[in-house]
Amino acid sequence: MNAPPKPDETQRAADIAAHLEDVSVKLSRTATWSGIETQPSYGPEDIRDTDYARDLGNPGEYPYTRGAYSQMYRSRMWTLRNIVGYGSPEDTRDGIENAIRMGTAGINIVLDTLSQEAIDADHPVLSADAGQEGCSLPMVADFEILLKGIDVTRQDIAWHSTMMTYPMVVAMALRQGKDISKLQGSHMPDHLQLRLAGWSEAIVPAGLGHRTTVDCVEYSAKNSPKWALGCPQAYDIRERGMSAAGEIAIGMAIINQTFGDLIARGMHVDQVAPSMAWVSTSDIDFFEEIAKFRALRRVWARTMKERFGSVDARSQRLRLACHTSGRSLVYQQPLNNLSRAAVQTLAALLGGVQSVETCTYDEPICIPTEEARELATRTQQILANEIGAARTADPLGGSYYIEKLTNDVEAEALAMLAKIEGIGLIKAIEDGTIEGMMDEYNYRHQQELDSQQRIVVGVNKYLPKNSTLPKRFSLDPGRMTSHIQRFKERKAGRDMSVLRSKIDALYQVAHRRENSHQAMIDALVADGTTGEVWGTVRAANGLPYDPFRAIESPFQYPKP
Amino acid sequence: MSDAIADAVRRGELRSVARLITRIEAGDPTIAATLRDLHAAAGNTPIIGITGPPGAGKSTLVDQMLARYRANGERVAVLAVDPSSPFSGGAILGDRVRMNRHNTDRGVFIRSMAARGRLGGLAQAAADALVVLDAMGWDRILVETVGVGQNEIDVLRHADTVLIVQTPAGGDTVQAVKAGILEVGDLFVVNKADTGSADRTVSALREAIEFRTHALGADAWHPPVPKTAATDNQGIAELLTAIDAHRRHLQDHPEQLALRRRAQARARVTEHLAEILRSRYLQPTNRSERFEAIIDEVVARRCDPSSAAARLLHD
Amino acid sequence: MIGEKIRCLLAMLGTDVHSKGIRTLAQLLRDRGVEVIYLGEHNTADGLINALIAEDADVVGLSYSTATYLHYTRDLLVKMKAAGVDDVPVMLGGLIHADDEPELREMGVKGIFGPGSSMTQIVAFLQDVTGKTLTAP
Repeated sequence: MNAPPKPDETQRAADIAAHLEDVSVKLSRTATWSGIETQPSYGPEDIRDTDYARDLGNPGEYPYTRGAYSQMYRSRMWTLRNIVGYGSPEDTRDGIENAIRMGTAGINIVLDTLSQEAIDADHPVLSADAGQEGCSLPMVADFEILLKGIDVTRQDIAWHSTMMTYPMVVAMALRQGKDISKLQGSHMPDHLQLRLAGWSEAIVPAGLGHRTTVDCVEYSAKNSPKWALGCPQAYDIRERGMSAAGEIAIGMAIINQTFGDLIARGMHVDQVAPSMAWVSTSDIDFFEEIAKFRALRRVWARTMKERFGSVDARSQRLRLACHTSGRSLVYQQPLNNLSRAAVQTLAALLGGVQSVETCTYDEPICIPTEEARELATRTQQILANEIGAARTADPLGGSYYIEKLTNDVEAEALAMLAKIEGIGLIKAIEDGTIEGMMDEYNYRHQQELDSQQRIVVGVNKYLPKNSTLPKRFSLDPGRMTSHIQRFKERKAGRDMSVLRSKIDALYQVAHRRENSHQAMIDALVADGTTGEVWGTVRAANGLPYDPFRAIESPFQYPKP
Repeated sequence: MSDAIADAVRRGELRSVARLITRIEAGDPTIAATLRDLHAAAGNTPIIGITGPPGAGKSTLVDQMLARYRANGERVAVLAVDPSSPFSGGAILGDRVRMNRHNTDRGVFIRSMAARGRLGGLAQAAADALVVLDAMGWDRILVETVGVGQNEIDVLRHADTVLIVQTPAGGDTVQAVKAGILEVGDLFVVNKADTGSADRTVSALREAIEFRTHALGADAWHPPVPKTAATDNQGIAELLTAIDAHRRHLQDHPEQLALRRRAQARARVTEHLAEILRSRYLQPTNRSERFEAIIDEVVARRCDPSSAAARLLHD
Repeated sequence: MIGEKIRCLLAMLGTDVHSKGIRTLAQLLRDRGVEVIYLGEHNTADGLINALIAEDADVVGLSYSTATYLHYTRDLLVKMKAAGVDDVPVMLGGLIHADDEPELREMGVKGIFGPGSSMTQIVAFLQDVTGKTLTAP
């Protein structure tokens, strides 16, 4: 019989066991990240009902499951995008120039939360938010500073924002004497996703928000047909808390509602759909995300053709704009986020997206630093040049697993879509049904993290031993202070009689519930601010001018 | 001598009011004198009860009613009652989210209350909280509940005018009739009237109401069925007019008002009586030797349960 | 006292829309027997304080995902003092950077639950600052 180990030996044995556990690699979960259960392996019997011509088709052929184009990245490389936006217009202009120097192909601009919520930068309770998380652009003059020397009828700028962006850009083009039918660029006109992503009923009431989306799409299709629309903006819905199938379900519910309303206004699906691109995420579950992109293209194509009677292939062939998941990145041991973002970017490429923006590894900690931006760009270049991600279209097509997962994601998405449409999308948003679905998803996710049924490295297992937080991005506050000062001075120096007449006209149009885009643009041309113009639309709809109720409208509106 | 807390309540000291309501919710027996004092002075504020199934848009409706009342310069208090989790006893009281725009307005006071699964205790706590708000001298009090159970219906009995909120969907109407909620409603509001088959819901409700009221005299109140679209701010003015019409009807028919007041008082006394009995006999910690001895006799079949209860009461 | 519950007011200040964390926390606290008064996004300090007074909450919980938390928290604490409700403890959650913790403590924040915090820690904090026991912890 062996003698009992000495205490220090016991301790050492425990330490070794703990160390082995910490460096182990194991299968901790057999369901996908969204919760679809998987099998140990797949074979022909799992995709017995899949018909190649009907359900897959060659790349570039209906129903586009295998890709939007036949040659895919051989004919059209994906667009490497980097999002820029912080501080004053001058700060963001510097960021854009740096990004171009570093090799970004598309200029993507994100607005700060105030501009995204159509609140002025000098709001008495909220000005601390100005320039945080995006660029502060409260009036057309600020767009002019940001884009000095850039021709918006020639340069393709992607605007990561919804409210007021399109009218602002059009107003700027008009002030410059440009022909807006030649306007280039894109934005994300979908207000319902804002409502769902935390803007809440107070900022974007579902009914008014959706009407504004339909107004914007209608106006844009008729007046600036080259302008592209990132719609639906399903990225934020996923980030908020939703499965891969749920992204398709809610996104398609928004599309169906929007197209239905446009058709009721006398438009045809083929006037609008070709200018649309789906704004998607690439989350952490590699195979599930690839399956999602494929299922999504199939659902889209069939909906356009069968539900809306599209006859134009450009309407049925869905283009995807992808941004890797910020939610999946973690604060703990942030360098691991480089691995996460690289795999997510690869999933997007194997799923056949048209553009991809790779999150910076420091996103959970601060506004991205220059170094983190550069690494995100390099990640894509490694995938394109070294890994071989661009060579062949739909490289995983025909895999029993991927095809089955594509079918599973699609089936779950269609069931959820039927449930939402059974209630009615707007009602399901207003009565909290969809928020409840998101709450349920996040609640289950958290419970699985707490019980270790779901492992996130560094968060609930494999805790970092040697982790230092990266340097935080710091912004010179001086430029923001002068930007806000300049904004106040500009407001004081305006020709109020012209602006007042434009605001009056806007109120009348909005009160009659007509398309208010031309009237909003006219007021912006006359130096109206984002808060004044949207506040007027709010007031005309019986809402408080300022959702925070800290300021009253400077304009007199007629009593309804 | 008047009670110090009651004085603070009458002076409108909000924190004292809020703390008193917390003590009411906790069943604190040491505030009996305060409540006695406040009860004497209450009874002057119109109380409007609002109920309906989850998702009917009650909070949004209350939000719009608040906006209208405030525009008329009226000061309004709201008591928002939400269910508690039957598993943990916790609750998410989220009604304020839809009324957030009134948070910065001192002319509005909103208090959330969790049902806490109390047997009959919810109606009692809510009624006491309403007495406190009443004594503060608001121009109106709104009390909102989720119309699911007897507990919530009991709360509504303390209101002078009861609104039952429905949405255009056939199922809901049938549900309302089944739950016996039809009897307590003074107005039946069809909200979200811009969606679905609102008119069908209106006529179904009218039919059900007519069935209940046709036998009553010409003087009886016939509940109207106004249509609203609260998220779109439609029909709110008409709703408030209908609420005022009900109040005027009661004023014009003092005998009906008296009956209502009497029923409310009876309900309150009955609730307290039940509470006394519950705390005396039904809580395990309060069971006396005498109680257990009588139970022994019932077990041994020397006494029957009915006689045992009578003996306990007459002790 | 019998029937006492922890009443916790959860809210976000400013224009931050990232409320998924605080919504999940609300559910997890409910599961542990807390009465959560949920105010959601887009609150002002004044509005929050009025709600706090009316609701007689035991604790205020704020969540942030943007860098403005120092500004908004300081502003709230100053206004709570002016309103005479600075006895109500304030806790913070969300993307709170470790470097900012000393400054937050100094301005009077009682609980800081940044990335990696557990429900056990939050529940222990709530019981500690309220002196009340949760029935279903």
